[in-house]
Amino acid sequence: MGTYITRRLLQAIPLLLGISVVSFAILKAVPGGPLAAYESNPNVTDEDLRRLEHTFGLDQPLPVQYLGWLSKFLVGDWGYSFVSHQPVLGLIGERLPNTVTLMGTVFLTVLVLAIPIGVLTAVKQYSWFDHLVTGATFAFLSTPTFWLGLLLIIAFGLQLKLFPLGGMATLGMPFDPIDRLRHLILPVATIALVQLGSHVRYLRASMLETITQDYMRTARAKGLSERSLVVRHALKNAAIPLVTVVALDLPELFVGALVTEQIFGWPGMGRLFWDSATRSDYPVLMGILAVSSALIVFANLLADVVYGYLDPRIRFS
Amino acid sequence: MRRLSIVLAAVGLVAAACGPTTGGPAASSSTAASAAPVRGGTFILALWQEPVTLAPHYRNQTAANVAARVVTEGLARTDTDGNYVPWLAKQIPTTTNGGVKLTSDGKMDVNWELQPGLKWSDGDPVTSADIKFTWQVWMKDPNTISRTGFDQIESIDTPNDTTAVVHYKAIYAPYPLNFSDGLLPKHVLENVPDIGKHDYNRKPIGTGPFKITEFVAGDHITGERNPNYRIAGKPYLDKIIFKSVPSREVAVAQLKAGEINGMWNLLEAQTPDLEKLTDIKMVITPSPSVERIEMNTAKNQDMTDPSSTHPVLGDINVRRALIYATPKQSVIDKLLFGKAKPGTSPVSQGWASPKSLTQESYDPAKAKQLLDQAGWVPGSDGIRSKGGARASLSITTTTGDQTRERVEQILIEEFKNIGVELKIQNQPSSVLLSGSWSAGDPRKRGSFDLVMYASSPGIDPHSVVFQRYYSKNIPSSANGGNGQNYTRFKNADADKAIEEAGATLDLEKRKTAYATALKLLNDAAVINWMYERAGIDATRVNVVGWQGNVWDNITWNTEDWYLKPS
Amino acid sequence: MAGQAVALRAPSAERAVERGQWQMAFERFRMHRPAIAGVIVLGTLALLSAAAPIVSPYGPEKNNLLLIYEGPSLSHPMGTDSLGRDLATRILYGGRVSLSIGLLAVTVAITVGTVVGTVAGFYGRWIDSALMRFVDMMYSFPRLFLLILFGVFFKGMSLPVIVTVLGLLSWMTTSRLVRASFLSLKNREFVEAARCIGARDRRIIIRHILPNSIAPIIVAATLGIAGAIIAESTLSFLGLGIQPPTPSWGNMLKDAPAEMNIAPWTAIFPGLAIFLAVVSINFIGDGLRDALDPHHVVRRA
Repeated sequence: MGTYITRRLLQAIPLLLGISVVSFAILKAVPGGPLAAYESNPNVTDEDLRRLEHTFGLDQPLPVQYLGWLSKFLVGDWGYSFVSHQPVLGLIGERLPNTVTLMGTVFLTVLVLAIPIGVLTAVKQYSWFDHLVTGATFAFLSTPTFWLGLLLIIAFGLQLKLFPLGGMATLGMPFDPIDRLRHLILPVATIALVQLGSHVRYLRASMLETITQDYMRTARAKGLSERSLVVRHALKNAAIPLVTVVALDLPELFVGALVTEQIFGWPGMGRLFWDSATRSDYPVLMGILAVSSALIVFANLLADVVYGYLDPRIRFS
Repeated sequence: MRRLSIVLAAVGLVAAACGPTTGGPAASSSTAASAAPVRGGTFILALWQEPVTLAPHYRNQTAANVAARVVTEGLARTDTDGNYVPWLAKQIPTTTNGGVKLTSDGKMDVNWELQPGLKWSDGDPVTSADIKFTWQVWMKDPNTISRTGFDQIESIDTPNDTTAVVHYKAIYAPYPLNFSDGLLPKHVLENVPDIGKHDYNRKPIGTGPFKITEFVAGDHITGERNPNYRIAGKPYLDKIIFKSVPSREVAVAQLKAGEINGMWNLLEAQTPDLEKLTDIKMVITPSPSVERIEMNTAKNQDMTDPSSTHPVLGDINVRRALIYATPKQSVIDKLLFGKAKPGTSPVSQGWASPKSLTQESYDPAKAKQLLDQAGWVPGSDGIRSKGGARASLSITTTTGDQTRERVEQILIEEFKNIGVELKIQNQPSSVLLSGSWSAGDPRKRGSFDLVMYASSPGIDPHSVVFQRYYSKNIPSSANGGNGQNYTRFKNADADKAIEEAGATLDLEKRKTAYATALKLLNDAAVINWMYERAGIDATRVNVVGWQGNVWDNITWNTEDWYLKPS
Repeated sequence: MAGQAVALRAPSAERAVERGQWQMAFERFRMHRPAIAGVIVLGTLALLSAAAPIVSPYGPEKNNLLLIYEGPSLSHPMGTDSLGRDLATRILYGGRVSLSIGLLAVTVAITVGTVVGTVAGFYGRWIDSALMRFVDMMYSFPRLFLLILFGVFFKGMSLPVIVTVLGLLSWMTTSRLVRASFLSLKNREFVEAARCIGARDRRIIIRHILPNSIAPIIVAATLGIAGAIIAESTLSFLGLGIQPPTPSWGNMLKDAPAEMNIAPWTAIFPGLAIFLAVVSINFIGDGLRDALDPHHVVRRA
């Protein structure tokens, strides 16, 4: 297993380099650039624009710009935002906790709900509960996240006035966990409902498959109670694929949920990316792209390793 | 030289209106006079744009200016009537009061006197060394947004702690507002190699009524009462919080719910809803921003040759017909809910504004007649053509701008009605407005037919008029893409008038010269002035002291704001 | 000689069995009630959209400034929008755009995915590993981020561009499916046999192996259409997709956050259209999976 992991890690290096080259190329292929922000400023002259272009290094050949970025990135200097002139690492660092709070809550909520619901629908296949859940999961899977968010705002924010319309906390008040929770509910619900759909469907299917396996029949024949049968044997095996799915979701803790953050004014990574994209703030964009793709690569590795660890039938070679 | 003295005396007259003040700007006291102000409380102001930096020389967002305005202050300001008023300075230096001296070699010395006893919010004294330091940082920091004005300064002398003598390389008319964005505290930043990394970037030390105590990126910025503020008893508020909200709509909802006390920058479409409410009031302030449609008179192609002629828009009759076919008033009534005025010139506010200037008003019949006369004949599909040139044009504006996209759709119908086909070819603002030849700004390169955007001059409009309507400022590969004369407007008389305005400091003469140039611009019918949009802000009714200022941010007088118990 | 005879018969026998399988699959699909409901709803939606000029008395881009933000009524069953345009009409015309984008993007994805998967699976060796590393790389990009950058890049996307970009960002699953079926089939007897009688690579690929991977591709494609419709609507909602005045279900919702207070119908109906189309497609996909692949291994949607 050790050599397998080492090999995968070594393979990740050219993969990540390739990703960074492609990301950089795409960014630079985007016409226009960060200087557009100065258009409405009557004081900014063409001379100012040329000076800023030079300061930002935009007047250098692309390979030079890329190598310059890479060599600094590797030693931990991620550059400075073109707009706020703050270090990129710091900008990412201050958004990360917000995104982790949001996505972490989503993560836990989904897991806590998906397992019992998935198991129940499988055990009670074709019951009214199963049909209800299956219908609901299909519905949520088919709803665009942004529209679900808007509907929740219209219903629970604007009409019923049950929850705040955006932000992370009520301002001008000391820290209040209840208040924080109230701000979390709508954005978490928006993402969780969609994710819950896919996880429940997933778990239900793999539970159904497990329940019909031979060893379950044997266990049942041995007189084990249905409850311990489901929990001890079926769930354990059915959960293996779910674990890998969860591992593959891990990068979202960092990447966040751009659209949801946008709609609810949640100051997370997604919004940082969006704001930076609209301002052509290349250093910030490169930083976010690099970290998120690295996380996706490692989450894949993690999923494979965990899968192999849990499922003894798989041998690494 | 005598002529120049008269000129500067004129500046003096404008400034004298407010006179030297010691207690604070005279203009700001009028609103709070009616009842005894209430002390205390927290004011929450919603911003739908997120300020990213508050440092005076890095700021380029209106929202950042709105927030930073309560902290960073400069030597002078513009009051609600468009006059220069002293702020940290004792008075506006002029030739009459001896503050401005013209040297024999054509240079200019400006003598700024600071008010006595000024302190930074951390308690250190504000001195003339800070004035000099401000200029130095502005010129040294490579990330400074604009060095306009500062690059005209040769040196600064500081004979004593309250006096700074600014030596300009040449006569520089907009000197009163040169140091208006905010002084930088030398004692804090002197040994800071990179202000971008320093705390100052987000929590600047200033002299304003509040000091920033908290900056949570993307969420909120808190300002608390500055204990060292120069006016005793002010500000009335304990705290002001700038809250980032995802959109204007959320801000409106929160304003209605009373979660916030005020919001910056509403859309016209939101006004009818708020006008019905009795617990919310709106403040509408004219703005110098003018939305326009510029028409390319040269061929629509990349790196266009300025001397080429556009097959359709090269004909002045077509350009005039398009202006006649633009229903500005219905656009204003229907899309902007009557909260704007039809435009007539790029300089809509301030002393230089040519108020008598007009432009063709909506008359589609006249438009058709013009086109008929000029030989543009409708084809089977109703679209006109002349000599093989089909009257089919593209219109470009920034993608995602609701109002502009709606205007485009109205124009498509209106133009179709007079036999001109219009196609939308929008581009993101990062491309359309990049203002950079190398980044491929289509306006610079000349690859557009009609382009719709807004632009606003400062209170001294010279740089804008010169950059945009002077014939040598037509961007081309020959001049390295310099200048912003995007319509490729060439008129020798207009050039002469603009040169004249730049060569004199006599405000009256300058005003006449600008009026001449802008009249010629309108005669050539190259720019369709769509509308002058107003700034709309809203507060709860118990807010006192909130007052618009054409040339300044809504937070220009927060020291006077207070909340009546409701 | 006998061996050759068997070999010659084998492929056609395979196909005969296959035809029977398709018959059975169709029977199974017909029994899947949600899928049939999906076919009906989606079919109605597509027909109405296709017939929009006949169905609706209004034009999709016809402004009427006197009728801005009218609530639903008899003459405007879904109300009007910010320019007084009939919302129902725009939803039908938007359906043309959104549904075609879904279909075409998946066509691009399937084509690219099949070619890559075939080349990798059939030729193996370094070609396979190079292509699979490339697939890994494509999988490792945060997809929405890339879409946003492309949106900024292409100045808001026209239909051909959005189809290409969505297609080029979603072919990887198909390529893995195709490759997997090649790996499992290319050493099977009937392929060996075909090779023995001198069939060329192209014939083996097209006649013998690809037909066997059609079932999972159809399922993936169906679900891909749903994904592409959601992706397009999200991009257009963000202002980076189809540009107005051309309506798409996504760009009709672009102004929804601004309008949900004064004209909630403008936020609800276009979203409902997306929802109905996508849920129908998902049901159809589910039905197809049950029908084509009754013992299907659990796969991530």
